[in-house]
Amino acid sequence: MIEYLLLAPVLTGILCFLTRSKKQVETVSLIGSIATLILGLILVKNVYQNNVIISWTNALFADAFSAFIVLIVSIVGFVASVYSIGYMGHEFKHGIMDLRKLKIYYILFHIFMFTMLLVGVTNNLGLWIAIEMTTLVSALLMILHTKKSSVEAAWKYMIICTVGITFALFGTILTYYGAVKILGESGDALNWTSLIAVADQFDPTIMKLAFIFILIGYGTKAGLAPMHTWLPDAHSEAPTPVSALLSGVLLNCAMYGIIRFYTIATKSTGPAFTSNLLIIFGLLSIGIAVPFIILQEDYKRMLAYSSVEHMGIIALGIGFGGVLGVFGAILHMFNHAMTKSLMFFGAGNVLLKHETKEIDKVSGIMKSMPATGTMLLIGGLAITGSPPFGIFISEFTILSAGFFQGNIISSVLFLLFIIMIFAGFFYNLSKMIFGTPKSGIVPGEVSRWTLGAMVIVAVFVIVLGVYIPPFFYDMIMKVVAVIRVI
Amino acid sequence: MVEVVFGSKIMQLLIAFILVSTFMILGSTRLYSCVRAFGIQSFLLACVAGIVAYSTGKYDIYIVALLTLIIKSAVIPYIFIYIIREIKVKKEIELYVNISPSLIIGGTLVVISYYLIRSISIISELSSLALSASMSLVSIGLFIMISRKKALMQMLGILIMENGLFLGAISLTNGMPLLVELGIFFDVLIGVLIMGILIFRINKTFESIDTDLLKNLIG
Repeated sequence: MIEYLLLAPVLTGILCFLTRSKKQVETVSLIGSIATLILGLILVKNVYQNNVIISWTNALFADAFSAFIVLIVSIVGFVASVYSIGYMGHEFKHGIMDLRKLKIYYILFHIFMFTMLLVGVTNNLGLWIAIEMTTLVSALLMILHTKKSSVEAAWKYMIICTVGITFALFGTILTYYGAVKILGESGDALNWTSLIAVADQFDPTIMKLAFIFILIGYGTKAGLAPMHTWLPDAHSEAPTPVSALLSGVLLNCAMYGIIRFYTIATKSTGPAFTSNLLIIFGLLSIGIAVPFIILQEDYKRMLAYSSVEHMGIIALGIGFGGVLGVFGAILHMFNHAMTKSLMFFGAGNVLLKHETKEIDKVSGIMKSMPATGTMLLIGGLAITGSPPFGIFISEFTILSAGFFQGNIISSVLFLLFIIMIFAGFFYNLSKMIFGTPKSGIVPGEVSRWTLGAMVIVAVFVIVLGVYIPPFFYDMIMKVVAVIRVI
Repeated sequence: MVEVVFGSKIMQLLIAFILVSTFMILGSTRLYSCVRAFGIQSFLLACVAGIVAYSTGKYDIYIVALLTLIIKSAVIPYIFIYIIREIKVKKEIELYVNISPSLIIGGTLVVISYYLIRSISIISELSSLALSASMSLVSIGLFIMISRKKALMQMLGILIMENGLFLGAISLTNGMPLLVELGIFFDVLIGVLIMGILIFRINKTFESIDTDLLKNLIG
């Protein structure tokens, strides 16, 4: 089962390589991503019924948490591939892309999907390998355009994330060292399934050290402050559909790594140590985003800093703990993935139309592109946490978890930060959406494909704000049961 | 058992030489000699792995030793030399921190690592020597990355850090499970190739590989 899911994007990538025209490569990519989506949903359904699936001699494994990551990857991946047809098609029409680059783009896109799915379903804590692979592939996607800025962003991304992930490797080695003492030297001693069973016997000193290295390492990849410095560059310079994948999905994959280790480490060290670290890094990330969002001049960078903020919120939710906190964090992962993709898609449409990323040079989107403008307005309200959208629910849950667990100071700070971010973000966004269009902008949407993609994610954003379907609720509760140790 | 191996004279000598090779990289301003020193370091590392494999009799450590020999001490230095030739980069490395302070900082880092590992005392006296060498490699690798201007040296710094972790893994636990080790080798190799592509791209767009020029994206 799991191997078919992994095979689908690889096969699509290979088929994209064999195509000979723009039409063919787009069709193959679209069919491939639909196949990945369907297989992903089947996996989610199976896990939902059977709790755990193990295959390929223990190497691949999916529990509720893996399935949740697979769900996010396959939905956003599908939507981004729909969006790509419109976005890349536009660049193709204007001569920015040629057929060769277009093919490379789609091949890398699907390989990127493969690596992210792999992060979710490896049983081995060598999921390090999969996370490093995501860096490698996405760095290549970033240098598709040979602009100075994108080359610079890709180099910083590559170097900082590789160093970060080297620390995570050290954390993994220490964990393995701790495990070998109990399980003996075997190939299984890094398997999630065997580790979690004996995690409470691990030496706390080693696990503390391991968790610090893991948190710094995967934290770099997840964009937690103060290791986030590469993130605004990379996410704003990547081609827009890739930005959506990077912000919406890849950050969650890195977060997944942290949370997996959090569960193991907490069993050994007790909750105080790990939770406090997550709360500190979480608050720092939210706080650092505040000035950068308020004073931002580049709208794609603004969205990137908002991703730093939201990763901080997820870390904070896990740190607060309790059913409420973890539930909020997991729900927030999903909501953020959907809302941030919506925002990046909207920003991409604006970028294609105005050919600038500066906030001050864009205005009157509502008049020139009414549909994109509406979507951006919905997305903007949602991402800043206003009701009645999904993110409001998850942020509110996390906040109440904070008060409920007695973390009054952190909760108040959190509330203060998100209010400031709301004001700054919305001020900047409204400058772009309202007003009169700049001269020389021809009214009309960019493409039906890009709009279609936005409508799909917008449905999630709106529906989850007013109603969480019972099966979705059950799914998240199952994830909570996997993560929660206290 | 591992501890006995790491206590042996030959192992201590190898680890000392690994540290010496790291200082060769720190103390050189010529790209070629840095790459050569890295090759020597990886070769010594392969020897360490080989001795551990011989004394434990585990076939998968032999594979790891062989892979280290092929990939890290032959293929990767070759890729470096290929890049240096192709982009006709100036053979001198420009530094943010000069040679003599660099060497002093390197020495300090070794001392700090030694005391740090001693103070944790999670392991016995003997393999702590290897582990402190591993910590030194990681920290010196990091220092090389931030104190040298050429993009190639940042790539080399990452690889030195990776070598340090390899030494740490093998001295702590006889290395990771084979599947994981293979995956790490794969990632390192692909990583080097992709960084190579990036360096070519940097050279093409900026007409130099000085990381000084990569300072436009801020705020």
